[in-house]
Amino acid sequence: MTAVALSRRGPARVLRIEIRRSVVLWAVPLLLALFYFDTFRTAAGFPAVWTVRSSVITDHMIADFCPFAAGLAAWVASREGRRKTSDLLATTVRPAWARQASALGATLFWLLIAFLAGVAALYIDTAVQATWGGPPLWPVAVGVVEVVTFAVIGFTAGALFPGRFTAPLAAIGCFLLAVIGLHAAGGVKPGTSTYGLLSPTTNVSLGDVGVFYRVAPDVAIAQVMFMGGVTVALLGLLTLAPAFRVSYHGLLAGVSRAGRWLCVAGVALLAAGVAASVTAFSLVGTAHMGVSGWEIPALHDAASDRPVPYTPDCAGTSFTVCVHPAFSAYLASANAELQPAFAEIAGLPGAPVRAEQVASGDGVLGSQGLNFAGVPKPGVSGTPLVYYFISDDGLSPLWDIPAVVGPGFQQNFLTAFIAGPPRVGPGPDAAALSPTAAQQAVITALMTAVGSPAPQWGEDMGNGGPTAGATPAQITAAAQRFGSLSSAARHAWLAANLPALRAGTLGLGQLP
Amino acid sequence: MTIADIQKPAAPAAPGRWRASPGARLVWLHMRSRRVPAAVFALAVCGGVLRAALQWGWLFRTGHFAQEFPMIVEGGAAAVLVITTHSPFGEPERTGSRWLPYLRLGTALVMTGVAIGILQLAVTGASLDGGVLVMARNVIGVTGIGLLSSLVTGGLLAWILPMAYIAFAEYALLQLWTNPWTWPVRPPADRGAWVCASVVFAAGLAAFMIRGARTRLAEDS
Repeated sequence: MTAVALSRRGPARVLRIEIRRSVVLWAVPLLLALFYFDTFRTAAGFPAVWTVRSSVITDHMIADFCPFAAGLAAWVASREGRRKTSDLLATTVRPAWARQASALGATLFWLLIAFLAGVAALYIDTAVQATWGGPPLWPVAVGVVEVVTFAVIGFTAGALFPGRFTAPLAAIGCFLLAVIGLHAAGGVKPGTSTYGLLSPTTNVSLGDVGVFYRVAPDVAIAQVMFMGGVTVALLGLLTLAPAFRVSYHGLLAGVSRAGRWLCVAGVALLAAGVAASVTAFSLVGTAHMGVSGWEIPALHDAASDRPVPYTPDCAGTSFTVCVHPAFSAYLASANAELQPAFAEIAGLPGAPVRAEQVASGDGVLGSQGLNFAGVPKPGVSGTPLVYYFISDDGLSPLWDIPAVVGPGFQQNFLTAFIAGPPRVGPGPDAAALSPTAAQQAVITALMTAVGSPAPQWGEDMGNGGPTAGATPAQITAAAQRFGSLSSAARHAWLAANLPALRAGTLGLGQLP
Repeated sequence: MTIADIQKPAAPAAPGRWRASPGARLVWLHMRSRRVPAAVFALAVCGGVLRAALQWGWLFRTGHFAQEFPMIVEGGAAAVLVITTHSPFGEPERTGSRWLPYLRLGTALVMTGVAIGILQLAVTGASLDGGVLVMARNVIGVTGIGLLSSLVTGGLLAWILPMAYIAFAEYALLQLWTNPWTWPVRPPADRGAWVCASVVFAAGLAAFMIRGARTRLAEDS
C-alpha cells in the first residue's frame, strides 16, 4: 500500500475511531428515555394530525436534545486542552482543523442518529393513526439544523475555553436559551415584534394548522438560514482560532501558523455566516400573520394561501355533522354529542341544518371582524343556516384534556345557537364575555335534559359584580326551574322568546 | 536548562505561612486539586444568570411555571459542583491518604452550601418563586444524583445525569406531576419531596465519601 493511499484513508479512519469511542454513546439511552417521556408521550396526547404531532419536534424534542448536544460537543472539543496535548498534537502531520472536524463529525453522527430515530418513531406512530395528509419535512429540517447548531456552539466553547466546567456550562446555557426562546416565541402575536419567531423552540400550533391551508415554510426557511448562519460563522471562528492565539511575534505569525488559505477560508465562513444570520433576522422582522401562518413577504409563495381541497366526512341524516377527513376519528363522537342537542332545538327559529368544521379562527377576533377574508366565522351563519365549529371547540383533545371534548363540544354548539356571536368586553384585551345569566340558565337546562353534565361558566366580574348579571347559585336555580318543564313546554317557550333571549334582554326572573 | 534543573526537588513550602496549620494546607490543596475556586466562579455565573432572568423578565414570576427557569439554573449549579469530585491523581491518592474520605465529604458539603449561598445571594430582594427552600431542595437533590452518577461516569461527566433529571423535571412540571421524587415541581413545604431529595443527597454523599468518583471512564473519553 502506498503512502498516498494511506493518507487518503486517514481521515475516514480517524472519523471511524472517533465514532466508535464517542462519549455521546453514553448519553444516547438518556436521550431516548427523555424522548419517550417528554416528546413521544406529549405527542400521543395530541390529535393524530401530522402538523400538530410534528410541532413537538421544535417544542419538546429540541429542548431535550440541546443541552446534551452542546455539553457533549464542548466536552469533546476541550479534550486536547484538558489533557494539555495541544502542543504535542501540533507537531503531527494533520492540521488542527482536521482533528476537530473528525471529533465534531463523530459527535454529530450519534446526535443526529438519535434525533432522526426519535423523529422516525414519532412519524411511524402518527402514520398508524392519521387519517389524512402526510409527514411534514420542514420541522425535521429545522430540528436537524438546530441540533447541529447547538453542537457547534458547544464545540466552539469547548475548543476556545477548554476546561472541566465548560461542558456543563455550555449545556446549561443552551438549555436556558431554549427556555427563553420558547417564551419569546409564545409572545409573538400580530402587531407585536416578530423576532421571537427565530427562537429554536416554538409552541405547539393550533389543532388544525396545515389542514385547511398548507403551512407556509417562510419561518422555517428563516430559522434554517439563521441557525445555519450561526453554525457557519462559528465554524469560521474555529478555523481562525489558531490565528487568535497571537504570541509576541504578532498577528502575522499567528496567520502564518494557521495557514494563509485557512485564514481566508475562516474569514469567508465567518462573513457568510454573519450575513446569512443578519439576513434571516431582518426577514423575520417583516413577518405578518396570514391564513397559512406567519408569512414573510420576501419568501412567501402565494400558492400556499389557497385552501387545500378535501371532501368532508359526514354523519347524520336530518342534521348532518361534517368534519375534515384529518379529524375523521372524532366524527362518531361529534355526531353522538350534537344529535341529542339538536333534537332539543329542532324547529326553532335560527336552528342550523348541519354542523361543519372550518379552519381555526379565534372567536374574539372573528367577532371583531378580524378573521381572514374567505374563512367562515365560527358560530351559526349562512343560508341555509350552518353551525361552523373549529377543532379547538372541543372536537378533539389537545393539551391532554379529554374531559372537555364531549360535553364541551355540546356546550359550544348550544352557546352558539342560544347566545349568538360572543360578546366582546371593553379594553384592548377584548376578552370574550360569558353569556348572560338567562342564556347560561337555558343552556344548562338543555344540556342537563340531554343527559350531559352541567357546564362550567367562568365567574367573570366587572365593577364588583358578576358580568352575567347573577350569581352561579341563582343561575343554577333558574336552570333547574326551566329544566323541570316538559320538553314540549321548553320548546314552546323558546320558540316564543328566543329572539329576546339571544339579544340579552331577558333576565333570570323572566324564565318560566 | 540541564537535566539537573528539571530534576531539582520542588521548592519547600513558604516559611511560616502554612507551618502552623498543616490540616488547613491539606484542605486547601485538596480543594485546589478539585478546581474549587473555578467552580465557585462558575456558580457565581449561574447566580448572575438567575439574577439577570429575574431582573429582565425572562421567566414567569408567579404561577405553576415560575419554577421552569430557576429549576434549570439550580440543577445547573449542582451539575457544576459535582465536577469538583474529579481527582487528577487517581489511584495513588486513594492509597496514600487516609484523610481522603473526610476531605471528599467536607468538599461536597461545603460546595453544596456555597452553591445554595451564592444562588440565594443572587436572588436577594428579587422574590424568587418558592424561595430559598425550593432552591436548597433542588440543589441538594440534584447534587445527590450527580454524586451517585460520579461513581459510574467519573467526576468530569457527572453533569450528564443531573441535566437529564432537570430535563425530565421540566416535563413533570408541564404535566403537573405530583410524585415526591419529582421534587423540583413540588411546593416548598412538601414533606415527601424533602424526604426524597434528602435521601438521594445522603446516599450520594455516603457513596461518594466511601468510594470516590470513578476516574477511568472520564480519563478515557
